[in-house]
Amino acid sequence: MKMAVMSCIHGNYEALDSVLLDINQHHAEKIICLGDLVGYGPHPNAVVEMIRSLDIPTVQGCWDEDIVEGLNSCECSYPSMLAEKRGKAAHEWTNQNIQPETRSFLAELPLSLREDNLCFVHGSPHSQHEYLLPDVNAFLALERVLSTGADVLFCGHTHVPYVRSLNAGELRATVKQPGVEQESLSFAAPLKRIINVGSVGEPRHGRPNATYVLYDTETEEVTLREVQYDYQKTCAAIVEKGLPSIFAWRLAQGLEYAEKADDPTHVCER
Amino acid sequence: MSGHGDPPPLWQYQFGRGEQEWEEQDWKKSFWCLTCKVVPNCPGNDYYSHCMANLPIIAVAGLLGSGKTHWISQQIVAASQSVLYCCPGSGNVPIDAHWIAAHFPQVKVVDEGQEMQHLIDLDPGTIAYVELGFHLDLATEFLAVLPCHKVAVLPPGYEDNELRNWADEVSESKLTPTQNSLDSQQLIRSPLEGEVIDPASLNIFWDELTQGAYGDVQRAKGIFDLVDGRSFHFDFVAQMTESKFTELPLPRWLDGRPQRFSGIEVGGNRLDSAAIAQTLQDCCLAEEMIAYYQEQIKAQPEEIPV
Repeated sequence: MKMAVMSCIHGNYEALDSVLLDINQHHAEKIICLGDLVGYGPHPNAVVEMIRSLDIPTVQGCWDEDIVEGLNSCECSYPSMLAEKRGKAAHEWTNQNIQPETRSFLAELPLSLREDNLCFVHGSPHSQHEYLLPDVNAFLALERVLSTGADVLFCGHTHVPYVRSLNAGELRATVKQPGVEQESLSFAAPLKRIINVGSVGEPRHGRPNATYVLYDTETEEVTLREVQYDYQKTCAAIVEKGLPSIFAWRLAQGLEYAEKADDPTHVCER
Repeated sequence: MSGHGDPPPLWQYQFGRGEQEWEEQDWKKSFWCLTCKVVPNCPGNDYYSHCMANLPIIAVAGLLGSGKTHWISQQIVAASQSVLYCCPGSGNVPIDAHWIAAHFPQVKVVDEGQEMQHLIDLDPGTIAYVELGFHLDLATEFLAVLPCHKVAVLPPGYEDNELRNWADEVSESKLTPTQNSLDSQQLIRSPLEGEVIDPASLNIFWDELTQGAYGDVQRAKGIFDLVDGRSFHFDFVAQMTESKFTELPLPRWLDGRPQRFSGIEVGGNRLDSAAIAQTLQDCCLAEEMIAYYQEQIKAQPEEIPV
């Protein structure tokens, strides 16, 4: 079965529309969304309405949770004061403009989805807010996949797509206690994979194009799709709707709006 | 010697306070080179290339970002005599002057508005560098009344530039400055004294600024006090591959808001000054955060040199 997995739409309706068209052209039989439907972008209600009307299975992203629960971020959400101010401005705007039915839909989203040996989360199985960066240490990466019981973990959140194979995984734990003989345990794990699908609405790879992933469940082949769309329309809407105009500039550059995780050793404490 | 006797002090020629009043033409013909003292008939009667080159006041001009301060710093390093530096027109944001002062504490850096007096009273054996911002009129009164050796810092290929006609000497710059007409440039300046900046925020702001988020920036420079007490110089010229970031050799400031200069200067076109100001303000730490971080840094054990 050919499956399309997308994430991090961030209220960018133009990007979502183009990605759905591309998915259709590639005859994907199933679509799964890894959350962050809202936040930063100018069309949160339209994006949620599209996802809902197409009945696309979706997990809750960090922004989706924040809009429901309120901001309560760990330091990893905002790497700088400037990012924090911008993030909070975007949160406030989204909070004011979102419709009740949109908020209700976001509140009911699950934290993870399973499909046979595949697991789908927004950030990590640990938290929607935790970044599984491509260079996170292998122990943590493997622990996160093993905790799901799946062989392939799909995630988003970093906005930079990647595929990481954890070959010949073996976990070794050594327990040292005063007066107690040292105890060592080891666990062997078969090949595991982490597939980060990038971002539809807020790419962070230096180009404004949307990204998502096509996955063939039989061949296990991963195809990263980069889709052009009329990002200038989204930029114009950002300005027109009163969001910070710097968001439009950053979107056009293929830069993140505000959040940018760059510390692979950070474990989210939210 | 030509029979004129010892040359009178420089200012006497300039301000008519000497024994003689001079017509400009006469003054040029009769000007004494303070070093070689062979005017008016210096070797080859080559007024500019010989006598003017030995004048103790060097006016340095150039295009936006052509490397004027860099050229002057090279001269300071090579100088055997005392050096005075001033940068008229830099207003309350004398970034270059503070860069020079930090790197060359032996140089006497003159404040804005005090230049003329210091140049008039220039001590014998002292050489003065007057850095002229790109925005200054080369026919400014400041230059008209001072006999000085004029140096233009220009990249190759600027044959028709007015600076080439103005200058006594052209120093070839390796930097490639803006190609834009000087007339079309905007200049935004802001002092930031007392402000402490979050480095991660400043990094984002600087990237946005130099990549065009707030207009077409041709030149940007600044001195910023960071939360760890260090002072950094940021330097960007369009067409440079990367900005330069250098720590100024100054003591760390960990006692409240820094009582020393910091500021920013941005040159370019269609600059959104309000957005620049707002973003920069968003990078500045509040009073209590400054105190919090400074206490943390002071509580850290000092590094013991190995």
